[in-house]
Amino acid sequence: MCQIRELVLGIESTAHTFSVGIIDFEGKVHSLVNDIYIPEKGGLHPILVRENHLNNFMNTIIKALTEARISIKDINLIAFSQSPGLGPVLKIGALVTRMLSQILKIPIVGVNHCIAHIEIGRLMCNIKDPLTLYVSGGNTIVSAFESSRYQIFGETLDLAIGNMIDSFARDAGLSHPGGPKIEELAQKSNKYLPLPYVVKGMDLSFSGIYTAAKRFIESEDFNKKYNLNDVANSLQETAFAMLTEVTERALAHTEKTEVLLTGGVAANKKLQQMIEYISKEHNARFEVVPLKYAGDNGAMIGWTGILRYNSIGGHDISETIINPKERMDQITVPWRI
Amino acid sequence: MMSNSEIIKEKLIHKGAEASLYYGHWFNKEVFFKYRIPKKYRLEELDKKIRTMRTIIESRALITVKNFGLNVPQVYEIDTKNSIIVMKYIKGEKLKDILNSLNDNKKQEYFKKIGRDIALLHKNGHIHGDITTSNIIITQNEDIFLIDFGLHEYSDTIEDKSVDLHLFKRVLISSHGKDYEFCFKAFLEGYKSEYDKEDLNVYNMIIKNITAIETRGRYVKSEERL
Repeated sequence: MCQIRELVLGIESTAHTFSVGIIDFEGKVHSLVNDIYIPEKGGLHPILVRENHLNNFMNTIIKALTEARISIKDINLIAFSQSPGLGPVLKIGALVTRMLSQILKIPIVGVNHCIAHIEIGRLMCNIKDPLTLYVSGGNTIVSAFESSRYQIFGETLDLAIGNMIDSFARDAGLSHPGGPKIEELAQKSNKYLPLPYVVKGMDLSFSGIYTAAKRFIESEDFNKKYNLNDVANSLQETAFAMLTEVTERALAHTEKTEVLLTGGVAANKKLQQMIEYISKEHNARFEVVPLKYAGDNGAMIGWTGILRYNSIGGHDISETIINPKERMDQITVPWRI
Repeated sequence: MMSNSEIIKEKLIHKGAEASLYYGHWFNKEVFFKYRIPKKYRLEELDKKIRTMRTIIESRALITVKNFGLNVPQVYEIDTKNSIIVMKYIKGEKLKDILNSLNDNKKQEYFKKIGRDIALLHKNGHIHGDITTSNIIITQNEDIFLIDFGLHEYSDTIEDKSVDLHLFKRVLISSHGKDYEFCFKAFLEGYKSEYDKEDLNVYNMIIKNITAIETRGRYVKSEERL
């Protein structure tokens, strides 16, 4: 703790991205290297993702160290994604981190992946206490900080938004990742085909949209009365309107003055415009996390590790067991109390 | 909006996420005008459909559930074209705003009563869809009014009833953390009291299913995990 420049190595390993970020205690990112597993066909098979990460973690770490122009011995703290995610994949991050912590004799911190998404957003956008819409392949959460936790005000009851879009894209014959391709196709259409709009309080359901959109492309009318662009447009318009509605409800309910959009789906321009619109309506400042830090990345794990370490210290090795299903609202956030 | 000269919209009372509530007069009666505002972020076609549907759903629900003896606003006029419902003026406060100032006895009394009201809805095949402490009004004579039926559904399934209760439970946890356990317990007592002996298995299935919803991946609690 007495060096001039203190550095943390953050390891993200919850799903398809194995990422290593090196960030200092002031919040400056020195390097960020992602290794993203793309399946040849179908979705993510946890065992295959694990194989990929096992084969590549070493190179990714070395690359991150090289880019930051430091040696592994310069690292003062190591953090990893402890929850939530695919079990076999989380284990790789945990294993590597425990090993390095013991060899280097440096403290270790386990981090909740969802909280890390919010924390890197607060750092990068210089925002204090936002209402966050976190949208990705695995998560769809509307959250704000209340009574010492990141409370979940709304979330999906079934599919995550990114998962729904990717699955539909796959059925439509588009290659991975489907999100950007759906966005591109949607821009070419002004036609709206009715899809189920399901909002329950502040919670959402996307499985009906998925099924209905799939029926549209399997129907005899497909490419006669309407085309894929029209289905893509309707899918985005419906799903994003639902997300925007619940975000607005949560904003009215919590009366926060800042809105943060993050996660992989935050890259979508259409969604950005919609969330920005309601933020303005409620006089709230709107920020999108820069793309590099909106998707899964090691820098956010590192930064959240620093916050936790500075506030109550690291974890004992016995506390570093992975937690594939942990909810962000189960954990108190000591650095914000 | 409405052309009738007997109708006067006087004061904006509340601007919610979905609708604006105005106080005014309708044929010399004190009323609320609930106006579902167009949402520019949505496609016009989709927006129009949602607003019209919710106006119809809410009016229908308000009129129907009154028959079970529930306190809900009396509907006077419906304007689906402009998404406006004219309803009787109720003077009261949101439960959300006064909960902190109540003593435990009052809390228990109110939540029991709310539980009975929701059970009445459910037993008659109605789902409120958005039970929150903002959608419960306490009047000066301590009558409890349920409002905001825009997400109402007709359903007699265990699943929909459990989801309804689960959403309320979540609101209590996230917005009234310290009161949650006490209040939800009283709520369930009231809810259960409306079920006769022969219906108790229905009650048990609904409650059991709340736990099932919570264990569907996203809601798993640490102590239930293997």
